Amino acid sequence: MPTAFPLPSDLSPATVTNTASLLRIVALSLISGAAIASRLFAVINFESIIHEFDPWFNYRATRVLASKGFYEFWNWFDPTAWYPLGRVVGGTVYPGLMATSGVIYNFLHALNLPVDIRNICVMLAPGFSALTAWATYMFTKEMKDESAGLLAAAFIGIVPGYISRSVAGSYDNEAIAIFLLMFTFFCWIKALKLGSALFGTLAAVFYFYMVAAWGGYVFITNMIPLHGLVLILMGRFSSRLYVAYSSWYAIGTLSSMQVPFVGFQPVSTSEHMAALGVFGLLQIVAFTQLVRSHVSSKQFQDLLFLALITVGLLGFVGVVGLTYKGVIAPWTGRFYSLWDTGYAKKHIPIIASVSEHQPTAWPSFFMDLQFLIFVFPAGVVLCFHQLRDEHVFVIIYAVMASYFRRRHAVAFSSLLDTYLDAAEPADAAAEESTSETSATNGASGAAATTATSSGSKKAKKGPPPAGTTALTDLVAVKKGDKPKGIFGLDTRLAIVMNAFGMLAFFVFHCTWATSNAYSSPSVVLASTNPDGSQHIIDDFREAYYWLRQNTPETAVVMSWWDYGYQIAGMADRPTLVDNNTWNNTHIATVGKAMSSTEEVAYPILRKHDVDYVLVIFGGLLGYSGDDINKFLWMVRIAQGVWPEEIQEPNYFTPQGEYRIDDHASPTMKNSLMYKMSYYRFAELFGGGPAQDRVRQQQVPKVGPTLDYLDEAYTTENWIVRIYEVRKEDLLGRDLKSANAFAKGKKRKRSKPVSRRRPIV
Amino acid sequence: MFLLPFLAFVSLSLLTRAAPADETRQKLVALAAAGGGLIKLDSASYDLLTAPNRDWSASIEFTALDTRRRCAPCKLVLSEFNPSWNAVAKAWSKAPKAHRDNHFFATLDFDDGQLVFQKMGLASAPVVYVYPPVEGPRAKARTEPSKYDFSHGFEAEPLAEHLSNHTPIPIPYTKPFDWARWTTAGAGLLAFAVTLRFIAPILQSRWTWAIITIITSLVMTSGYMFTRIRGSPFMGHDGSWIAGGFQNQFGQEVQVIAAVYGTLGFAFIMLTMVIPYQTTSQRQRFQVYLWSTIIMLVYSILIVLFKVKNRGYPFRLLL
Repeated sequence: MPTAFPLPSDLSPATVTNTASLLRIVALSLISGAAIASRLFAVINFESIIHEFDPWFNYRATRVLASKGFYEFWNWFDPTAWYPLGRVVGGTVYPGLMATSGVIYNFLHALNLPVDIRNICVMLAPGFSALTAWATYMFTKEMKDESAGLLAAAFIGIVPGYISRSVAGSYDNEAIAIFLLMFTFFCWIKALKLGSALFGTLAAVFYFYMVAAWGGYVFITNMIPLHGLVLILMGRFSSRLYVAYSSWYAIGTLSSMQVPFVGFQPVSTSEHMAALGVFGLLQIVAFTQLVRSHVSSKQFQDLLFLALITVGLLGFVGVVGLTYKGVIAPWTGRFYSLWDTGYAKKHIPIIASVSEHQPTAWPSFFMDLQFLIFVFPAGVVLCFHQLRDEHVFVIIYAVMASYFRRRHAVAFSSLLDTYLDAAEPADAAAEESTSETSATNGASGAAATTATSSGSKKAKKGPPPAGTTALTDLVAVKKGDKPKGIFGLDTRLAIVMNAFGMLAFFVFHCTWATSNAYSSPSVVLASTNPDGSQHIIDDFREAYYWLRQNTPETAVVMSWWDYGYQIAGMADRPTLVDNNTWNNTHIATVGKAMSSTEEVAYPILRKHDVDYVLVIFGGLLGYSGDDINKFLWMVRIAQGVWPEEIQEPNYFTPQGEYRIDDHASPTMKNSLMYKMSYYRFAELFGGGPAQDRVRQQQVPKVGPTLDYLDEAYTTENWIVRIYEVRKEDLLGRDLKSANAFAKGKKRKRSKPVSRRRPIV
Repeated sequence: MFLLPFLAFVSLSLLTRAAPADETRQKLVALAAAGGGLIKLDSASYDLLTAPNRDWSASIEFTALDTRRRCAPCKLVLSEFNPSWNAVAKAWSKAPKAHRDNHFFATLDFDDGQLVFQKMGLASAPVVYVYPPVEGPRAKARTEPSKYDFSHGFEAEPLAEHLSNHTPIPIPYTKPFDWARWTTAGAGLLAFAVTLRFIAPILQSRWTWAIITIITSLVMTSGYMFTRIRGSPFMGHDGSWIAGGFQNQFGQEVQVIAAVYGTLGFAFIMLTMVIPYQTTSQRQRFQVYLWSTIIMLVYSILIVLFKVKNRGYPFRLLL
């Protein structure tokens, strides 16, 4: 183990090794501590609460699992989702996350630790982030050495890009999936390096866990074959590759098919064909290698080579043919949209509408990665410099990552990679600083300047002092030597200061980004009072609890799909659509109801037994994520199904502006969504100009009227508004004229209507 | 008893009105045939085509093809939309005659029908309106014309797809075979195969791939995908090159940010891979300080840029 300074000569090698590994363990636990701690901002600033949207479903499912047992969960049919269709939850979820929490829950209860299931769910992501740090350490250790591993672990532990997906309360599939991803890759690299079937199997087992946990497993399914393929193309085929890949693929695929939601996809969809193809190719290549080693004739080898190519081409044509014939499902729309976002916009507005699928501008990258983003190219260069098999993996990862980076979901897994890449240069920089040190030593005559002579050096220079932050020790811990050197002490100091300053800045940045940007539960909003104290805006829960307390359990609530999981989780009421966007038509139905006039929408509402309609309105507070801003997506999705009735241009002014003030188009003004959002809004300003703070426009003085709905509840800051759908008029009038009658308005009649049909 | 005469009256009135409609249709068919499937309208024939008792449907392109009417969108029309429109109309003229005569394609140029443009309140071109039939078996509740939404671009394919919703049978439009594209692709492949022998060493060099990898990652991390997907302009209208707002950027920012990242990455490479191998202490010391300074300076600039995008960012370096 190379170190910067010479060790005292009276230490036994065993002592040195033990001390070094103890230091590593201490450093790793400190890193884990830092990783967990920085994710607790959300709990400290707000409370122990499940965040956002999807986690609410996961939480609800986990509660079922914890209270009723695994088999009940497996067979769970949820009649309240997608009313009136219902949802077979057991067969349509990735159960890994819930199963993990269920196991932890039962384990703790077996120990007589009565921990609430909600706290397990909230703390799961921070807990697993510690494991991710460890997995990253193992992975990077395979790439370079322990020092780089520690640095990489520290980076992944606190980098904002990963934190944003794993703060306490963010109970989503990624919470455990990132760890699984990292560990599967580690097992794969290990298997490849050793040619070990054991590690190949381990990789398969963790791959199975990953499949059970997250749809992003497709990334692994394509990443590993791609690595294998590139290695073959580079002429680096080896029996190690053969053993590792075959054991991973055979066991991994068979086990992944045990997940009901995946089923036969691994042998029937195009996403998985790359893995199958590379598996076949490997068999052929291995076979030719075998034959070649037993046959000497040059001609025969050529023939073999030709046959190989032919078989490969035939296989490819076969796959294409089967796809055409429909045996193999072609790429799904979601996959197309991954490559070409224009595709989604044209054909599947629902996919384009999901904010996770929006492209990312550079400030977001910088926010998430900070200085890692520019050490990353340097890391790639270093990988090319060495270019062992495992480095090829990192490089492919780097390319894939930077292409897909724009998509959050895949992107952030890419971050991992960045880290380890990043680890290397930073490490190298520090390395340099140390090698400088050793050079000084050399100058001082103690040891040879050529650090290579291993015997001489030793001593981790100052063992981590009190190890306040994980990072400090890292800098100290990792030092390596190379046959090169730096002259003079000042340059060394300059570089050490420089590197240390950057790492410190990184820590500050991560802490700031985490506490300010990524810890909001988005169920609860925070603002600041004039005196600087925090003001909590709790409208969502207020509304959901109102529903829970004041409506019958069977009351059906209609809202845009974003809020489906939250309503189900917090209000416990049936919803028409939710965040599991599998049924485009059903969502379009809701979109149509929202974007049509009351008269058109009413039959739709009644046919779906809707009792309450819930809209999110941010105009009073300036909450920009409200339904009026999402309205165009509703229109687009509805237009996709009913192009005759809903047309997007109608919702714009003739000048093509999206307005909600006096100039708004009539279609816009008469749409149900507009009416529900601005109903009685102007009255709030007592005759003064009513300002919508999101759109910065003035709402018309005379607000919309509602004939078919009654305002049921509006929260403190008007963020959530709930309307009750009226039942049909008892006298058989349509509700509009009934309303007019009740208001004492006379019905205008253009022509007399025949009073009664004469009885013949 | 009373019904009979009433029925007779109704059928009679239908007949009397149907006759001119049929006549008009014949005229239109003749016009369409003369124009190769596309009727060139003026104010008079426009009225004919959109007669209130039509039992055919029509799609009309309102345009301004004359170069005197030049304006940016009109030029776009000349180069992009008009050919698409003609191609779709031509495709329709190959439909079976029974169906073909139930839907007409027409073009109204601004110079031929200023009155119509005024009546429709059209201030811009191109616009495509689809007039549904008012009478006959295909008549629907909606009789006012509907506007074609250009959000899918000016290409013929989405246009044909959309119009097929309004024609009796789908428009038999097939994308013309793109000879230029396939020839280019073929020539490129051939050239590659021929030169393979000479460029093989380049292709096999790891540094070629390293450069490709790094350029890709630099460009992608600088938000290139964002500008491409969102179609953001290269720079702002007022000449500013940096867009305000955290989730927004101009095309030029990609270049600047990629250059900044590249400089910083290069500085790190110099520090780790080149400087340690220097042989004289003077030269080495100079380089160490040079690149360290560059890192600090460029990093500070980067932070300044980031602060422009994210005003709440509390940290800064030298600048």
